[in-house]
Amino acid sequence: MNAVIADALADPTPRSLWSAAVRKLARDRAGLIGLAVVLAYLVAALGVWLGLWATEWAEITGSKWAPVSAEHWFGTNIIGQDIFQRGIYSTATAFEVGLVVAVLAAALGGVLGALAGFFVGSWIDELILWAMGVLDAMPFYLLVAAVAFALADNPWSMHVAMIATFWTTTSRLVRGEVIKLRGMEFVEAARAIGVPPTVTIFRHILPNTTHILLVQMTLAFVDAIKAEVILSFLGLGVKGGMSWGLMISESTLEFLGGHFNNLIAASCLMFGLVYAFNMFADALQDALDPKQVSA
Amino acid sequence: MRVTSTRYRTLLLALLCAPVTACDDASVPAPLTQDPDAGLKVYHHSMDESPASLDPVQAANIYANHILENTLDTLYAYKYLARPYELKTNLADGWPEISEDRLTYTIRIKRGVRFQDDACFPQGRGREVTAADFVYSLKRNFDPKNRPQGAWFWQGRIVGLDEWKDAGSDHAKEVPGLLALDRYTIQVRLTRPYPQLLDTFAQGYSGVIPREAVERYGREFGVHPVGSGPFKLVSYDSARAVLDRNPHYRQEPVDLAYEGYDPATQRYSGVERIAGRSPPFVDRVIFDFASDDASRWNSLTKGDEIQYAAVPPEKLDEILASRSPPRLKPEYAERYQLIVGLEAGFVFEVFNFSDPRYGYHPDPVQAGRNKALRCAIMKAFDWPARNESWYGGLARVFPGVIVPVTAEFDPDTPVDTITRDVPGARRLLAENGWNAGNLPEFVYGNSAGVKQRMMFEQLRAWLIDIGYPTEKVINKNYATFGDLSRAWKQNELPLISKGWGLDFPDAENTLQLFYGPNGSPGSNDANYRNPEFDRLYEEASVMLPGPERTAIYRRMNEILLQDCVGMTGLSRTRTYLWHKNVVGLPDREITGGFWIKFVDVLPKGESARPADLGQEI
Amino acid sequence: MDLLRFALRKLLAGLPLILGVTLLSFTLMVYFGPDKTYQLLGKNPTPEQIAEIRHELGYDRPFVTRYVEYLRQLVTLDFGNSDSTGEEVNAVLARTIPVSLALELPGFILGNLLAIGLALTAGYFRGGWPDKLIMGLAVIGMSISFLIVIFAFQIWFCTSYGLDWFPVRGWKAENLAEYLRHIAVPTLATMFVALGYSTRFYRAVIVEELNRDHVRTARAYGTPPARLFYRNILKNCAIPIITRIMFTIPSIVIGGALLIETTFGIPGVGKVAYEAIVSGDQPVLKAVVGLTALLFVVTLLITDILYRAVDPRVSIR
Repeated sequence: MNAVIADALADPTPRSLWSAAVRKLARDRAGLIGLAVVLAYLVAALGVWLGLWATEWAEITGSKWAPVSAEHWFGTNIIGQDIFQRGIYSTATAFEVGLVVAVLAAALGGVLGALAGFFVGSWIDELILWAMGVLDAMPFYLLVAAVAFALADNPWSMHVAMIATFWTTTSRLVRGEVIKLRGMEFVEAARAIGVPPTVTIFRHILPNTTHILLVQMTLAFVDAIKAEVILSFLGLGVKGGMSWGLMISESTLEFLGGHFNNLIAASCLMFGLVYAFNMFADALQDALDPKQVSA
Repeated sequence: MRVTSTRYRTLLLALLCAPVTACDDASVPAPLTQDPDAGLKVYHHSMDESPASLDPVQAANIYANHILENTLDTLYAYKYLARPYELKTNLADGWPEISEDRLTYTIRIKRGVRFQDDACFPQGRGREVTAADFVYSLKRNFDPKNRPQGAWFWQGRIVGLDEWKDAGSDHAKEVPGLLALDRYTIQVRLTRPYPQLLDTFAQGYSGVIPREAVERYGREFGVHPVGSGPFKLVSYDSARAVLDRNPHYRQEPVDLAYEGYDPATQRYSGVERIAGRSPPFVDRVIFDFASDDASRWNSLTKGDEIQYAAVPPEKLDEILASRSPPRLKPEYAERYQLIVGLEAGFVFEVFNFSDPRYGYHPDPVQAGRNKALRCAIMKAFDWPARNESWYGGLARVFPGVIVPVTAEFDPDTPVDTITRDVPGARRLLAENGWNAGNLPEFVYGNSAGVKQRMMFEQLRAWLIDIGYPTEKVINKNYATFGDLSRAWKQNELPLISKGWGLDFPDAENTLQLFYGPNGSPGSNDANYRNPEFDRLYEEASVMLPGPERTAIYRRMNEILLQDCVGMTGLSRTRTYLWHKNVVGLPDREITGGFWIKFVDVLPKGESARPADLGQEI
Repeated sequence: MDLLRFALRKLLAGLPLILGVTLLSFTLMVYFGPDKTYQLLGKNPTPEQIAEIRHELGYDRPFVTRYVEYLRQLVTLDFGNSDSTGEEVNAVLARTIPVSLALELPGFILGNLLAIGLALTAGYFRGGWPDKLIMGLAVIGMSISFLIVIFAFQIWFCTSYGLDWFPVRGWKAENLAEYLRHIAVPTLATMFVALGYSTRFYRAVIVEELNRDHVRTARAYGTPPARLFYRNILKNCAIPIITRIMFTIPSIVIGGALLIETTFGIPGVGKVAYEAIVSGDQPVLKAVVGLTALLFVVTLLITDILYRAVDPRVSIR
């Protein structure tokens, strides 16, 4: 009941911002093309998850370093596996890494940022700020390596490490926004009528930071895919499956013999997805940034 | 104002051009300071790894030994050119007197041998090497504070040495079985005959060092070894080591016949040029450590850097006109010399017998099924493909664990255990009631590294061929080789994938890998326990080389194969190229590095290869 | 005097941060980190030897004792000897940090200057074709993996499949020519990768500044572009720019460029740190992580002082 009243009191992000954003996004041709490409990749990934294609990625289907042919679109690798199938299979891995890290990092950053912002100046805020400071003060790859090693061969160690480092940026932004929001009428009103802080935070404040979370998620998605490549190359990344990073590290075995199929395939597939996603993320950012909307 | 704007534009322009300018500068080789090697005769060697430590008690690999065999003196050493490998005296003055019961060895060392000049000595002048130095150096292997790795060679074999360690490794106390009888005489007393004892005195572990240096440098002795060898270490880090000639090294003219020179196969190297001269012949040896094949290859072929390198397998087809006999293509023969030889060691993958899913099982029926499973996996293994993918097709696959370079190797051992037979494997599995549903998980451990991971993928594909579901073949990644090693020793993995380099040229060195009492955490990571095998091992271990002992060794090899211990083995072929003006015949096997003191370098453009020889080796 | 007290207070405030970083890194890297024991074992070890080595390495001591020992090392800046070579950790750092600096500084400086230059150009021609071109290229640059850039540049510049101008790996700085030859490709790769991000960042900062009223006014009054940039924009952008640059420094000095150093085989501190991780060389690891944390706090402090210098409105709180 109280919540409804508070809802009705005021919502600082008017519906018009969202509809304006959608309209703005719909006009952004580069952004839409980016979105279309990302969706195409998503279809490829779904096919892998459903077992429709790239099912022979682990098998030896050809000879060592077979050239590009109708049978092997991108040729084969040093032990005779099909590079095209492995590249497509890796798309699913990229989405899995990107989505898991983006969603969880944004969630963690959102919740902790909101808590810190709502209780600004209190010990909760201090504690969260301290945690962020500690994580930011560690060199990224050293931290990731440490987490990866501490979790031994756990397949999620890379995800945990990335989430642990990625949430702080989101958290800082959300904290700033919440500090602004908490001074607003609807929060004051909620407090006045005795709505518990947790309800206020989760029902009223966090939803108003969705635009930040969304943009941060798109950025984290791209960062996660790029970090995966480097971590897998260093032997800290994907365990068991197949990924673009593993393909690129595989390609280091082939340079000397003058074979670049793995490198080219993984680089192009990865560039396509990341570039498209960056275009989409830019468009989204433009559309959702209230400053830009008003400007 | 216009001016500032122009200046801004100029700045921008300068910035845009900066990288380009840098490139231009770099392409002009204009040394601005003195080259540190100018005027010196330098031999520039390369290796694929750097040694972790240069403390002789930690000289567990050929990388450390390459440097230590040239900075320290060992009592004995391997002959430069004799193959199969033969021992010769080094710091020892002649062969030891051995008692009738083969338990007491009396060894004399050369007189007048001096340690290298070093700040650890009074006035920086190296003093004479004495028998007491050897005793001290060997005892260091039994002092845990030094984190020694070579104690297993002497453990339980020298009278009183283990007790000395248990009593706290006090160097002031004597070990009854390891004494300096006088300034130049060493006496070693054994608990039982040990035919390989003199081989152990050729290892870096037993290299002679002065106590002063250990006391002065403490823990840093590992980066600052001092000895009486032909070269002195002047700098060392993970990228390179630099050794300078020891001007006081004893004069010992080279006797090629004694070193085992075979003109028919070795004359092409030009080693006749060093006959009658005293090593070392170069002023400086530089070791480059580069784990990356491409960088070593580039450095070798660009002409101005390293003079010797192993040929990466991917490059074999590019440089070789023919594989057997090995012959270089003319454009390479013009600039390089070549040697192709088998390693003194092997790589192998054996099952862990203490894993009840693959190894021993209390229930004899299940034990039989496990054996069938092991044999089937051996049949799935595609040795030719492994050889082709990773060793350029040049490696030698052989059945068992007696490696081809040892005298005990039997070329007529049946090859069925190293022959791929997928239908046979499937049949074997079916007959023993194995199917996709009940096959146990196959966990393959490896340390992070793309090559290791691809080897796993290859094995997984072969296991899929005999009916393993993809998800049952699992790769378990370990952060470091040490962690992988721990997993083996703590029996966490069903398969042990290892390489073993021979410490000395005797098949005992690989057969001990399956000796029951050496089980985890010892060298028998397979935890293979077979009373018959152990009995034969003990019988052979005190025997002198000869046909009788060889027969026992071969019988032991057969037992291992009948038990389907695993996929074994493969000896890699080592292919090395070196610049034509380098006089030498490279070999990195056994201890490694003992040939480097014989290297000479001719002026650029000259060739060590005798002019009357063709391109053949 | 005021400044000194300010600095001391800031340093004191940085203490919890240092404690946090050291505790986290100690727990992760040292306590749960790779086990060095099995690398120091001989080929045929016994359980007693394993126990001896664990004792030598101090693994058998309780967590708290080891952590307190670490803090003591950090205070005295004496990290003991490497577990791999036995070399003093301080000697290792003294050997490798200069290499990392020599490797990274040129790319860092050139990259940032170039990025600021490009950002100014883009910002000035906002909406025009130079802006679109620069920003388009920036997004492309941001979308290429660092690893791919490194390999592509190595193949292109350093092998016979490309131009073959430079060495693929290694490090020599005995003379200027050798030095330039060895840093050329790593520098190009670093700059290429950083450029996209930096340019976008600087452009955003500059555009925000351009939108401010006083700048608009100055522009309307026909202030020449160069002066406008210098007086009104660069000066006000200084804070975000300084912040960005300052906070890159700790990771450059101590963390090194792990990826660049590993792929180009350059014996800098990044490579040493990475090797320490994968070989479980805890003394080196402790030094690298601990010093990074210290430097981070010092950087925070210096940044605060610099803010004051740039903008007197920032008060000494």
